[in-house]
Amino acid sequence: MHISEGVLSPGVLIAGAGLTAAGVAVGLRRLENEEIPSVGILSAAFFVASLVHVPVGPSSVHLILNGLLGLILGWKAFPAILVGLALQALLFQFGGITTLGVNTLNMALPAVVCHYLFSWGVGIGARRLVFILSAFAGGCCAVFLSSMLVGFSLYLTGEAFLPVAKVVVAAHLPVMVIEGGLTAVCALFLRQVKPELLEGAYVPKLSSQPQNGSG
Amino acid sequence: MARGRRLFFCLLFTALWLVFFNAPALAHKVMIFAWVEGDTIHTQSKFSGGKRVKGAQVLVFDSEGNQLLEGKTDEQGAFSFKVPKKTDLKVVLRASMGHMAEWKIPAEEITAVGDVSGGSLPEVGVKVATEEAAHSTDVRSSGGLSVPETMGLSRQEVEEIINKCLDRKLTPIIDMLVNAMDRGPKVTEVIGGIGYIFGLVGVALYFANRRKRE
Repeated sequence: MHISEGVLSPGVLIAGAGLTAAGVAVGLRRLENEEIPSVGILSAAFFVASLVHVPVGPSSVHLILNGLLGLILGWKAFPAILVGLALQALLFQFGGITTLGVNTLNMALPAVVCHYLFSWGVGIGARRLVFILSAFAGGCCAVFLSSMLVGFSLYLTGEAFLPVAKVVVAAHLPVMVIEGGLTAVCALFLRQVKPELLEGAYVPKLSSQPQNGSG
Repeated sequence: MARGRRLFFCLLFTALWLVFFNAPALAHKVMIFAWVEGDTIHTQSKFSGGKRVKGAQVLVFDSEGNQLLEGKTDEQGAFSFKVPKKTDLKVVLRASMGHMAEWKIPAEEITAVGDVSGGSLPEVGVKVATEEAAHSTDVRSSGGLSVPETMGLSRQEVEEIINKCLDRKLTPIIDMLVNAMDRGPKVTEVIGGIGYIFGLVGVALYFANRRKRE
């Protein structure tokens, strides 16, 4: 899923970096002080998830977890994923510094899309079946959209879209199922233990209180 | 609620811990390793973590960036080719899904240029030279005359023979290097990365708090 350096044309790299900068700006604007720790923890989870190798299929693929980040964080997934990817590029040499923008966009944009599509179902009030299904769909869909975006990035650089996209999507089919399941399990767990994370009401509830002792 | 939060963090850390100590660090990066053996260059391509890259495109460029030849890796991730010419070579691996890696071979490492039309001429040459040498030795011993020029083994031929021997002896060592080249991300790097993220969270909270006070 990480596109290496030297594969994409400069135009694609710059466009990706620009869009990512915009996404990160939106994410940071919406970031409330109380949410900083949870963004950091999810960023760490994303950073580590890429080390979990899925030994199925023709290629080497790993977990991404962008669906989970999207469902919980929404636009704030952009800064979280940017930090995770930057550290992966620096420490593990996955992807690269020049492709950081494109890679962030490829993983964070699907997260935001999934947030808008499925986060209504992932609330405390939702019925259990609806909850599980939307979490699963969120995890699954984010990986699928990411695969399509990787194919699209390569297409913009001159490769034929359909064959590349087919390869990428096929390689990530097992990951999609696993991520869907994992996202559902994580969301269920959070609903039991820390339901504020899943509720949009989290921020207003806190900010309506006098701001003194929460930091 | 505080109890729940503490439980959440405990479980999250346990999960993170299990994740990177159970799964041997494996992930998404390709690499190619190339070495010279006589007039042939062997390459070995792997994903980070050791899985072989099958059926990927390998391109060979000279120092000016002209493409000299291309091929595909086999089931073992290997691809071998005859040296096209004596120059700095750049071997580029293009795996699917936007993965790319390269390996440079400096001209000094290339000892013999392969005959692309087939048939290993240098070998034949050496054999002839060795026979000549044996012959001339016979002549010398029977004649009792020692003439260094008739030894028949020129400096270049000796070099070739030595290179051959060295290649043969070094092959297992090179194999070992190929296998040892990548062990994937280390635990220290993983912990370092997580430390960075928590550090960033700390910095963000610091500024957030300062803003709140002002």
